[in-house]
Amino acid sequence: MHMPKFAGIRRMAARIQEAKGAPRWILYVGVGIVVFFIILAIFAPLIAPYGFDQVSSDGMRFPKQASPSSDHLFGTTVQSTDVLSRTIWGARTAIEVVVLSVIFSIAIGVPLGLVSGYIGGKLDRGLVLIMDALFAFPYLLLAIVVAFLLTDKLNDFFLSNLFGAGIVTAAVAITVVYIPQYFRVVRNHVISVREEPYVEAARALGAKRRTIIGRYIFYNVIQNVPALATLNAADAILTLAALGFLGYGIQPTEAAEWGYDISRAIDDVGAGIWWTGVFPGMAIVLLVTGFTLVGEGLNDVLNPLIRYRRIRKPKIPAAQGQEAS
Amino acid sequence: MSRKGSLRTYVLTRLVLAIPTVLILLTMVFLLMRVAPGNPIQVALGGHLSQQEIDRRSAEAGYDKPIPAQYVEYLGDVFTGNLGTTLTDHRTVTSIIVENGSATLELTIAAMLVALVVGLTVGILAGRFRDTPIDLGGRLFGIVVYAAPVFFVGYLLQLLFGSTLHWLPTSGRVGPVTEFELDTTTHLYLIDSLISGNFNAFWDAVTHLILPAVTLGLLVSGVLIRLVRVNLMQTMRGDYVEAARARGVSERRVVLEHAFRNALIPVVTVAGLQFAILLGGAILTEQTFNWPGIGSELVRYLNERDYIAVQGIITVFALAVVLVSLLIDLINAFIDPRVRY
Amino acid sequence: MNLVRRLGIAAVLATVLAVVAAGCGSSGGGGGTIIRGTTDQPVSYDPAGAYDLPSYDVIYNVYQNLMTIPPGENKPVPEAAEKCDFTNPTTYECTLQDGLKFSDGDPLTSKDVKFSFDRNVEIADPNGASSLLANMKSVDAPDDKTVVFHLKQPDATWPFVLTVASFAIVDSSDFPKDKLQPSDEVIGSGRYTVASYKPGQQTVLEKNDAYTGDDPAENDTAIVQYYDKSSTLKLDVENGEVDIAYRSLSPTDIDSLRDADGVSIVEGNGTEIRYLVFNLKLQEGTSDAQKLAVRQAVAQTVDREAIAKNVYDDTVDPLYSMVPQGLEFATKAFAEKYGESPDEAAAKKTLADAGVKTPVPLEIWWTPSHYGPSSGDEYAEIKNQLDDSGLFTVSLKSTEWTQYSEAAFTNKYPQYELGWFPDYPDANDYTAPFYAKDSFLNISYDNPEMNKLLEQEAAETDEAKRAQLFKKIQDIGAEEVPTLPIWQGKQVAAVRDGVSGVEDTFDPSFIFRYWLITKD
Repeated sequence: MHMPKFAGIRRMAARIQEAKGAPRWILYVGVGIVVFFIILAIFAPLIAPYGFDQVSSDGMRFPKQASPSSDHLFGTTVQSTDVLSRTIWGARTAIEVVVLSVIFSIAIGVPLGLVSGYIGGKLDRGLVLIMDALFAFPYLLLAIVVAFLLTDKLNDFFLSNLFGAGIVTAAVAITVVYIPQYFRVVRNHVISVREEPYVEAARALGAKRRTIIGRYIFYNVIQNVPALATLNAADAILTLAALGFLGYGIQPTEAAEWGYDISRAIDDVGAGIWWTGVFPGMAIVLLVTGFTLVGEGLNDVLNPLIRYRRIRKPKIPAAQGQEAS
Repeated sequence: MSRKGSLRTYVLTRLVLAIPTVLILLTMVFLLMRVAPGNPIQVALGGHLSQQEIDRRSAEAGYDKPIPAQYVEYLGDVFTGNLGTTLTDHRTVTSIIVENGSATLELTIAAMLVALVVGLTVGILAGRFRDTPIDLGGRLFGIVVYAAPVFFVGYLLQLLFGSTLHWLPTSGRVGPVTEFELDTTTHLYLIDSLISGNFNAFWDAVTHLILPAVTLGLLVSGVLIRLVRVNLMQTMRGDYVEAARARGVSERRVVLEHAFRNALIPVVTVAGLQFAILLGGAILTEQTFNWPGIGSELVRYLNERDYIAVQGIITVFALAVVLVSLLIDLINAFIDPRVRY
Repeated sequence: MNLVRRLGIAAVLATVLAVVAAGCGSSGGGGGTIIRGTTDQPVSYDPAGAYDLPSYDVIYNVYQNLMTIPPGENKPVPEAAEKCDFTNPTTYECTLQDGLKFSDGDPLTSKDVKFSFDRNVEIADPNGASSLLANMKSVDAPDDKTVVFHLKQPDATWPFVLTVASFAIVDSSDFPKDKLQPSDEVIGSGRYTVASYKPGQQTVLEKNDAYTGDDPAENDTAIVQYYDKSSTLKLDVENGEVDIAYRSLSPTDIDSLRDADGVSIVEGNGTEIRYLVFNLKLQEGTSDAQKLAVRQAVAQTVDREAIAKNVYDDTVDPLYSMVPQGLEFATKAFAEKYGESPDEAAAKKTLADAGVKTPVPLEIWWTPSHYGPSSGDEYAEIKNQLDDSGLFTVSLKSTEWTQYSEAAFTNKYPQYELGWFPDYPDANDYTAPFYAKDSFLNISYDNPEMNKLLEQEAAETDEAKRAQLFKKIQDIGAEEVPTLPIWQGKQVAAVRDGVSGVEDTFDPSFIFRYWLITKD
């Protein structure tokens, strides 16, 4: 039986088009926010007025803990760095870590789930045990311990040269936490799909395992991933901020990170210096909300149990001799 | 096989399956800590004594015994309930679990209550009045409350209610003097103060609990709102609900009595899973509010490389989560006829 | 009424009650109770198991030592002892006072003193300070009131060693001789007893009525409350939950508290120092002369006053010698040689004369958490100063403490940040550990003249002669710059109005004397 390519994705797109009202707007607003931050991340060197650890310009030292002014729109920190610049560079750090960790998690979790669900047997049982064990681990704990272990160990890793060792460390720590989620979702879906008639038919026709998994099951199962990926991304930002707050993962000399900025800002707030913490804090809330809205929007649109479909009235051609209605 | 019989089999199967999970967890914990660089002596006295002296002391303290030997010792200890004594401040891990664990337990339960109250209320309203401003407002609230970093929100609350308004205390479980005078039997201060009839202490404990519980509870309520709303919407389309409406039952009763109860089933499951989130969020909340819970102790011991303490704490954490999810599964199996076993 | 409604009403009621009870919030203790908040956590209250300041804090208040440093001073005087002296260069003899008693009524005799020292060496706890007794061959108690120390080599610092909290006198009938006593069951002869110890939460000290000295505690109870974050501690001292906040508030916290109502900042002479270490083996430069030039040029470029002001808001003082001000024999060797303010022209000349190409690449390491988050700010400032001079290009690297503390001393970092906390307030403790051939710094610094001077000062009991030796030592240290002293920290506490005595206990000994503190 011939399945059109990208059937699953096409189906998804169609559903988005059909959705009525609020879910679409939620999706669009979410996507808008995320795209905004991605632009900030990519074009940070052009958009940010200063470097993330820059303390002077044209020979003049920046003031310390100065309130927002025309020179420094978001004020300066206790280290005399510009808050606006650090917030923008922080977007780059956040997006880099999120992208890396989501890609890693999907690249590992999805294939494992596919294989495990389809083949079953001992491999499946073993993997399920390990994944359940990982799942049982309180997520922040796991991230902290992994970040801890990997500090300074990834200095020669090839990705570290591109992104910086600290960012890769944080990404790996977060990846480990989310692999079990993808694994679980994909595996469960595969198990329910693998008994479908069309899969049986393919098997009866002698299709190779690889083809079955790759062509038939994959596209069906993949629909679950985007919603999970966006929620994963949202959580990843929060975990990254928590790691930065506690002082693990990214070293302050490597990159700007919102959680670290907030940890330094805590002292400031008590002294009436609000701008060093509020802006990174708002950035976190916005970006996480953005990702969540995308996830919620997708879920609303794709979840068959709650979605509304826009009902297009059928066009009935006019009867002979009468006006079209 | 009768239903009762297969329930028993299910319980036994799950219990048996839990064991390898626990074993894997324990091994992971052990390996993680041994692989972590440094040891407590290095942390405490590095920079003050020569590296030779530090190495000598480390060797004498037995930090370089072969790993397999340590692993076997570790497993044996765990199964006999001996979690060891910390290296950095000579406490038994059991006492840490009991004293600090109760603090976290108190906080977690209170936070869960807050989360349930807020989550259920807002979730039901949002689901009931779907696609209206109430719904959008509720959902947005849920999202933002989850997105706001708990350590920052906590500090803002401290500033507002503690420093500016002077309504609530900002740190600890009770004031320093009350802490000294309170008789702790269960280490759950609310209960202990009632047992000993010390109503001042009880009130002190309540006021100290409010800010941390609200901070953490709001975070979790964000997740619950989403869940309750979706489940409510799904159930409200169900046949039996339609039937109730057809019988002329008022919409309000439909929601509160029919839909609500069934929407709760998956909530129970997820509430249990939130346990993991709570423990994670608890770490940050405890640090912010100086709540002497097991999360903040963990971070401290991690920084000091006290691997006995970290090992012991993570072991108990993980076991607790396994236990809770086991319990949830069993509850589900019992009440939800759709669960196959 | 259904569940949700009931829960809702309960929540509202609880909040209302909380608001109503606002006025009755508890705060502080009565006039007889002093509450101090701190972010440092202790290791053990058994002297044999302690080598850290938070443990020392309590030990000094619960036990007596043979010798101690009186408030406001920097030299040892007898405490439990009546008098102490060298009978010959390697024998030190102490006579105990009459009628000394432990808090449980047991008499304190020389047997307890000998027991305390012997068990310290025998237990050799990994967290303890038994290494400070390396020079002790044996200790005798020939009669109830006499203690005799037999040293391996003449040691002018021995009286100072006796003041260290790790060598407090314990009750031989209560403490085991081969392992540590639990912290909540310790017995001493000091001004307080440990009434309760909840690790991570609080220590409660109660006045010891059996104390035999003539300066008992001026309050009834002292509570030490432990905090995870300094920001929470700051809030609590502002709100009156604690009376004293000491160690450690950030410079921003302190600035903000200076303006706050009801709280004032108390400062005193501190002796903790921060310095930059050069590893002579790993340094940039082709010859010893070039390496020396680089070190001297850095010494001429670093602006200590800017660091003290910009990074630490003047809670630290610029330091011009490894020996901090406030200690006997301290000089300002670096200021004498290079001036108090930076001199870039001189630095340029120093480098040019040695034929060093500028800008010199410098890799400087620091650590983010062990010395507080301000060290990041400090090294960012140092980097800026060095880069701005045009003579150096600095690359900053950091790693967390455990790896840092091992890597720094195993020849991995060419330049690195370090702090020092005294064992005892003697200049020897600030020179020998750094300048000696077998220094723990492991930086391949070996100057025979310096080694000889250090040997001499350690054995020299004549003060005038010792002063001369230390002057020479500090001058050589300034000339060769194996380490560059940067600042000396003040002891800073936030104290609520009505609480006095804190300023009296701030001195180079770092003994926090709860017994001097009173509250209206």
